[in-house]
Amino acid sequence: MERRLFLKCMGCTTCVTAASQTGLLPDILGGIQNAAAFDYTKKLSNVEARYYKKLKDGGIECELCPRHCMVTDLERGYCGVRENQKDKYITLVYGLPCSLNIDPIEKKPLFHFHPGTTAFSLATAGCNSNCKFCQNWEISQVRPEQTDNIDLSPAAVVDVCTSRKVPTIAYTYSEPIVFYEYMYDTTVLGHKNDIKSVMITGGYIEEKPLADLLVHLDAVKVDLKAIRENYYRDIVNAELKPVLDGLVQTRKSGVWLEIVYLVVPTLNDTESEFKELARWIKANLGTDVPLHFSRFHPQYLLKNLPPTPISTLETAWNICRAEGLEYVYIGNVRGHPAESTYCPSCGKKVIDRNGYRIRQYNLKGNRCKYCDNEIPGRF
Amino acid sequence: MSTVIVVKSTGGNPGKKPDSEKYKTLLNEGLRLLTEDKNPSGCLARLFPGGRVGMKTNCLAGRLNSTTPTLVDALSELLKESGIEENNIIVWERSNRELSSAGYKLNASSFGRRILGTDSNGVGYSRAFYSSDGVNSLISRILTDMIDYNINLPVLKDHSIAGLSGGLKNMYGAVHNPNKYHDNNCDPYAANISNLEPIRKKNRLTIIDAIMVQYNGGPGFDSRYMAYYGGILISEDPVAVDRVGLEILEYFRRINSLPPLEKVGRSVKYLKTAALLKLGMDKLDKIKIKVIDVGREGKSRPGSLL
Repeated sequence: MERRLFLKCMGCTTCVTAASQTGLLPDILGGIQNAAAFDYTKKLSNVEARYYKKLKDGGIECELCPRHCMVTDLERGYCGVRENQKDKYITLVYGLPCSLNIDPIEKKPLFHFHPGTTAFSLATAGCNSNCKFCQNWEISQVRPEQTDNIDLSPAAVVDVCTSRKVPTIAYTYSEPIVFYEYMYDTTVLGHKNDIKSVMITGGYIEEKPLADLLVHLDAVKVDLKAIRENYYRDIVNAELKPVLDGLVQTRKSGVWLEIVYLVVPTLNDTESEFKELARWIKANLGTDVPLHFSRFHPQYLLKNLPPTPISTLETAWNICRAEGLEYVYIGNVRGHPAESTYCPSCGKKVIDRNGYRIRQYNLKGNRCKYCDNEIPGRF
Repeated sequence: MSTVIVVKSTGGNPGKKPDSEKYKTLLNEGLRLLTEDKNPSGCLARLFPGGRVGMKTNCLAGRLNSTTPTLVDALSELLKESGIEENNIIVWERSNRELSSAGYKLNASSFGRRILGTDSNGVGYSRAFYSSDGVNSLISRILTDMIDYNINLPVLKDHSIAGLSGGLKNMYGAVHNPNKYHDNNCDPYAANISNLEPIRKKNRLTIIDAIMVQYNGGPGFDSRYMAYYGGILISEDPVAVDRVGLEILEYFRRINSLPPLEKVGRSVKYLKTAALLKLGMDKLDKIKIKVIDVGREGKSRPGSLL
């Protein structure tokens, strides 16, 4: 044990992100009332990864994400958290989150999934893409040796939720696909204890692991970064098509799905793109999948661009509504009317939001209290 | 025209790594030939005129296939003799774990030669990103802040993706996100990492340990594909020294009935990219290769590359 970490309990608003080498170690000693104690560790895990095959001439091929990294002894995949050790593929981050917090579920954002509740949110180091605008690059674009990790088994995660009455676990912040085994085992254990699980992801995953995981998930939020392949190639360093396929697969599975589209000035913000996006969603997922247009702020490798003008977000919102999408939101603009949920039938505000706070809740079960129209989601 | 010196040990015990004294002899002979200065201390004093000198090792593969401490010890002695303060010599790698696994005794103190990984307390990576065409990385603060010059000390190895792991590839260990740069046989990434401003500016000398050559199955250790070459390669040109190393690696593949790297999809394309970035020469006809054999008694005579 390196030292003791005291995590501020329920209600804390600052994410405990352990990344001392990039200078981001937070005030982890703040607010120790009702605190739980966790252990930092320098050790990496040694758990065999799932979804890989051994190659004839040595090495392995990872089959978790469409990247299909070929990895020889002592090397790692693109994600930086899965390593070939003598032709056995190992996840180095099982049970080793570097970032923890209890967040409002609205922060994910999931607006149609148990509004007003909280989610115990966690992430390990690593990511299988490299978005130039990443807001969490200090943990997603580094190797697990570069973050301060907390020893937290799946059982310990579930214990935190039950002891603090947190109904949901959110795998988030970095890219949960790269800590698949940890996420999977925690979702299974969570369900046995009536704890729900949601995955907040870029959605760059192969069909089989996604199918296996969806059985145990309650909701998925996918960051659809763009609707054009060249954006994925140039800005994300991934591919669009597998993400679209995964969206369709998730929708068909019945697991609750919401989509975020980060609008980046000059890169994915044309009216034709918004139209294309809306039409694709309508044709492939339906009109009742919530779509969040999120405001970009200069980050990481895209510091040369301005924040997204609110007018651009409103244009996107208008286009998608005109194309028939029923639940379109604007995010990262606190107090904007498009943070709230409106009943498509009577037009009244059924969930009034301000930031992550719910000011008014006008649903009865899953129905509009004014006109009894059914609102899709998990309420 | 660039110069690459190849110093081969003859008359020793093939298959056995030289001891520190032997390495010192090889280094002395090689540095004299490189700088055409009879006094090896003078050579190093000219290459490293005071200040702090780093040695970037390659310790990925543990004791069996990493930059050996005996070579590092020999070079440290020569640096001290040339006037570099012992505490201003920093032997470094990505992590303390890798250094320890390769047989190094860590020392981050103010006394004696320092041996430390970037993950040592208080070290870490640069705050600022450095960029070069597709590469955007933080760089080890050992390189950016703690040394004035760097000696790149790789071992000559095959690499399952890059084809060749030599000096340019070794600098992957200086950046925070090396796993992002393995697509397309590490091209253009291996070249662009060495083109990042602090690396390009501080890398003064590359010494490749080619006593043993992992000509297939790298970058880890695979005894089936390990051959004795018995030499070290020295150059101020980081591209030329890799290019000559590639000749040696391909030679061992050839005599062991393995296809050339190009035929197995591991063409070392990044050398050409590095040349285009003007990091050095990638064409053999633009590289002067001087080979000497150093016998057991320490006498040298002209030798042949292969």
